[in-house]
Amino acid sequence: MNDANTAAVDCEAIRAILDQRKDQMQLALKVCAHCSLCAESCFLFQVHDGDPRYMPSHKFINSLGKLYRRKGRVSREELEEIKEIVWRRCVLCTRCYCPLGVDIPEMIALTRSICRSQNVFFQYEDLPQV
Amino acid sequence: MVKAERKPLAEIKEAIQNYTRILNVGCGGCVSVCLVGGQKEVQLLNTQMNVMLQNDGRAGRLEGFTVERQCNRLHLVDLDERVARFDCLISMACGAGVQLLAERYPDKPVFPAVNTAAIGIDQEIGVYEERCRACGDCVLGYTGGICPVTRCAKGLFNGPCGGTNRGKCEVSNEIPCAWQEIYERLNAQNRLDDIKKLRQPMEWQNTVRRLIVQEPYRQRYTGPKA
Amino acid sequence: MYAIVRGPLVWIAILVFILGTAFQVYRFYALTRRKAALALAPVSPPPPGPAPAEPVPVVEEVPLSLVQRLRLSILGTSPVTIAVTSVFHVCLVLLPLFVLGHNVLMDMAWEISLVSLPEALADALTVVVMAGGAFFLGRRLFYPRVRAITSAYDYVVLALATTPFVTGFLAFHHLFDYDTVIFLHMLSGELMLMAIPFTKLVHMPFFIINRFVLVHENSFGRGGHRVWR
Repeated sequence: MNDANTAAVDCEAIRAILDQRKDQMQLALKVCAHCSLCAESCFLFQVHDGDPRYMPSHKFINSLGKLYRRKGRVSREELEEIKEIVWRRCVLCTRCYCPLGVDIPEMIALTRSICRSQNVFFQYEDLPQV
Repeated sequence: MVKAERKPLAEIKEAIQNYTRILNVGCGGCVSVCLVGGQKEVQLLNTQMNVMLQNDGRAGRLEGFTVERQCNRLHLVDLDERVARFDCLISMACGAGVQLLAERYPDKPVFPAVNTAAIGIDQEIGVYEERCRACGDCVLGYTGGICPVTRCAKGLFNGPCGGTNRGKCEVSNEIPCAWQEIYERLNAQNRLDDIKKLRQPMEWQNTVRRLIVQEPYRQRYTGPKA
Repeated sequence: MYAIVRGPLVWIAILVFILGTAFQVYRFYALTRRKAALALAPVSPPPPGPAPAEPVPVVEEVPLSLVQRLRLSILGTSPVTIAVTSVFHVCLVLLPLFVLGHNVLMDMAWEISLVSLPEALADALTVVVMAGGAFFLGRRLFYPRVRAITSAYDYVVLALATTPFVTGFLAFHHLFDYDTVIFLHMLSGELMLMAIPFTKLVHMPFFIINRFVLVHENSFGRGGHRVWR
């Protein structure tokens, strides 16, 4: 089913955090109609010439959605990808628009705390220096 | 985070009156969180200004671009090429962002569109309360987490003063005495020794605690006006 | 099989839809709480000296026309999608209630019925729903941003929502084998009803809840009154 190398990740700890907020998260993931109307409300989406990876729904489906679908069983590499999404593609400006009222920033913030629990977080040095 | 309020349109209009190609730069940081300087507000201000300029029969036109954070030069890289096409810049960021913009593009006039007001907490959507004045000498450790700079009308570092009156401040019966609150909290934590430690007093000019309620949200809250 | 779809499954579907939706709404209320009243600390009076001028209202200084306002909203960013989705959803929800055939069945079962639309109008609105469905299918297939978040599940749900209308149209015009078409019409309608509380179609009740009940920047009216935590 899932052959991710989860050895270096405390999947149980992730699972525990997910369970704490399960209902709101489940509902958010379920209510999302995958309509893409949130796209333009994200200034990063506009700045990156409409790259769909910057669409708020894309970000939350592929970060928290992934953790939820896998019930926390992800590899370190996957966690690093999720970190890219929730820190580099989202600044938590909290201004995304959802016609159905899904609180996307809340979901991204939750994903960030899950990453932190695994000692995965954004470091300033990760940025290209100019 | 940093809280800000938008400047009156007339002031912004006056600042840009000699320019025609104007870039309005938003910020995805604090000012976006407090609903005053993010992409949405950039679009609103641009619409308003463009209507104003059109009504005045002027040729000027505003375009918008929002960066991740104006207070970090790494995030200004995307602006570099764009800026060349414009005569002047409007910044919707805090004072720090405005200054970094002005520093990076020294040949372009930069005009702020917001007044940076406070470091505060989010009370409600569009309602923010000041909690910190960045005095640079944090005393919260010995005041039980209650800031005497923003919450004591006199900004006293040692208190309470003689003007404390049954838990209220002599300045107004409505205002709780911050030092009374500090006393009560330290007492509850068995830390009254802390209140006896004398601190050097500081000269404070502006001790009015600022409350920011963003204009579109004012009607939503029947409470105090900003 | 035909008998089941025609008989008990109708009632089961309606029951599942009502109870499932009620459960979801109940769960939402159980998980959220009423927002506490906003308690602001009193603000110090201004320092002595001349009183500061009343703050100038910044937003209304330039009255924007309705069109300009709408252009700043989601209608400005995605006008076509918003127009299509509004018409599509209104027809999707209301049309089945006012179709003559459905009202006849309702009358037979409960001896009550709603007003019926003229058949030609109902037929035209069915075409509108199908056209809306085709529009959404097209977006899913060809619009990069929608495609990026589309999986097989989205096509299945789209099919669930539109099949009752396609089969209803075919049945009304007696295209293909009527018995098969009407069987599929009933079955797909029942499946769709039952799917509402348990698939992404749950956005039907939650569109209202999220927009009117929850507190957030884009809520309608005075801004909702419930919060998650």
